[in-house]
Amino acid sequence: MGSNEKIYRIRFHGRGGQGMKTASRILGTAFFLSGFEIQDAPRYGAERRGAPIFAYVRAARSPINERGIIRRPDLVVVADDTLLPIPAAGVLAGVDEHTILLLSSDVRAAEWVDRIRFPGQLILLPKLGETEDPPGLRFLGATCAGAAARLAGPVARDCLEASIHMEAGPLGAAALAENLSRALAAYDAMASHAGCVQPATATSADDYIAPRWVDLPFEQASVSAPAIHGTLTSALSKTGLWRTLRPVIDYARCKRCWWVCSTFCPDGAIQVDSAGQPGIDYEHCKGCMVCVAQCPPHAIEAVTERGSQAEEAS
Amino acid sequence: MNDTAFRRMKDLPSTHLLGTGTPMCAGCGGLEALHQIYDVLGERTVFVNAAGCMTLLSVYPFTPFRGSWLYAAMASAPAGAQGIRDALDILLAHGRIRTEDDLQPVVLTGDGAAYGMGLSATSGAIERNLDFLYICYDNEGYGNTGQQYSAATPHAARTSTSRGVHGYAGEKKDLFAIWAAHRPAYVATVVGAEPLDLARKVETAKRLTGPRLIIALAPCPTGWDFDPQDAVAIGKLAVKTGIWPLKEYRDGQIRHTKMPHPRLPVEGYLKRQGRFAHLFAPQRNEKLLREIQSGVDRYWQQLEGIRAAPGGGGACT
Repeated sequence: MGSNEKIYRIRFHGRGGQGMKTASRILGTAFFLSGFEIQDAPRYGAERRGAPIFAYVRAARSPINERGIIRRPDLVVVADDTLLPIPAAGVLAGVDEHTILLLSSDVRAAEWVDRIRFPGQLILLPKLGETEDPPGLRFLGATCAGAAARLAGPVARDCLEASIHMEAGPLGAAALAENLSRALAAYDAMASHAGCVQPATATSADDYIAPRWVDLPFEQASVSAPAIHGTLTSALSKTGLWRTLRPVIDYARCKRCWWVCSTFCPDGAIQVDSAGQPGIDYEHCKGCMVCVAQCPPHAIEAVTERGSQAEEAS
Repeated sequence: MNDTAFRRMKDLPSTHLLGTGTPMCAGCGGLEALHQIYDVLGERTVFVNAAGCMTLLSVYPFTPFRGSWLYAAMASAPAGAQGIRDALDILLAHGRIRTEDDLQPVVLTGDGAAYGMGLSATSGAIERNLDFLYICYDNEGYGNTGQQYSAATPHAARTSTSRGVHGYAGEKKDLFAIWAAHRPAYVATVVGAEPLDLARKVETAKRLTGPRLIIALAPCPTGWDFDPQDAVAIGKLAVKTGIWPLKEYRDGQIRHTKMPHPRLPVEGYLKRQGRFAHLFAPQRNEKLLREIQSGVDRYWQQLEGIRAAPGGGGACT
């Protein structure tokens, strides 16, 4: 490939369960149907629904030799604005002046530019009837893919439509229809920004800068084997970051029947004090809301994490 | 059961041994059962984990356990438990650990290993009368890799490898019966949504020696496609509809620990899970719904037949 070849590099950030893998597949297939060479892949570790994940798409008119995750994105799509303050989510990794940031948020664009000092162009994706509930989030991927397709430019509406038929068709007629309507609505909503993404030049292997490896001496198995000698180290993972909804106990209504919420909490994130009063460990509560559903006196309420974070900040 | 420490819900442990911060999904029914089981089993345990979702519990440098954990290949966890038991026995025999420092090997696998790949190793371990505990978290599919069907997948459920209009064509394997046919010390079914029943069974298993095996139905928001907050409600419905009988095998006898009265129609259980949505829309699949219901009816009718027969009491044949 010549050095002046252009590659679209698009990264989708969301939480497990918000359909970012689907988004990358829809967009990748739509590019493919538009005559492009493509790569699309999700990247996640051991984390599950709610944890920060990302997926990426490369598209070019000729074979793509780049591999691995996208370090210098032309377009970053963020499905969940609560990921921006989380360093581990790496949403802003490698962005520069040419990067477009498409953000699904209720907060004004100007405020985001101010908050995160984003060097490129920030475009808001208005929440098109999205909800905070996990079941309502499942079509977010289609919305993001539709918007990204329009921003990128060379994907025609009918290619996007055909792609969704391929990717969402096996999910059944109802899910297909919902994915189609969300994606096409987002595609249309981005008309004023159509084609604003600037694909960057393909990088050459000659320009590759090797990482600065640190050579470690060979150690005995007792040292080098991944044995964990500490106990309960899992608590160092703050899975509270996975939450989109937060359970809040109304202690005026709580009947101190801790054996219900504390036993049913899958994560053991509800502790009981000596007076029999349950308390939720927000550093680790993943927001499954089992406690809300099971609390006999209905003393636990589900509030949006976004709302509680805003309240705490003020 | 007269001497149980768990008479009421209030008697359940109020402090929890399993660490927070695990990578299991929000609303994981398997994790719910495991944390309840661990509270009753206590810290003096060594977990032997076959490949599955719960392998991710202990990914370096993190662990939610207070004791050791060993990773084994999918088919090999009972063999791993054998090795640990043997090592402990040697240490005991040589006086290198005291009797009170002895540990309990606990195999922890999903249904992929328990119902399928690991069944032969389990059969061998029971045959050798290995003193161990086996906990299977049964989410009725290969959940860690995207819910492909397993030998535990129920009839008509949609999985990522059974996506047709009829779902999975096979029937869920009766692992309880297969295990019980080996005549081990103890076999039981539990679900995290019935924690008192679960605690009593783990308490019983803890007091016995020899092979003791427990299958925990693990409602799986990701694989079964439901809102995580419904995890307990769906577990309760599995018991109330009779689709997941709570029972135990001991001394050649099978005893049902919770009879569903009245037994609710299975539809109430199926309707709340996306993996059965194709049975209700675009139109109801009466044939498959009937097949599932009559399978459950047959189970309980046979059981009543056994109980009504002279000398009947659920003898294991």
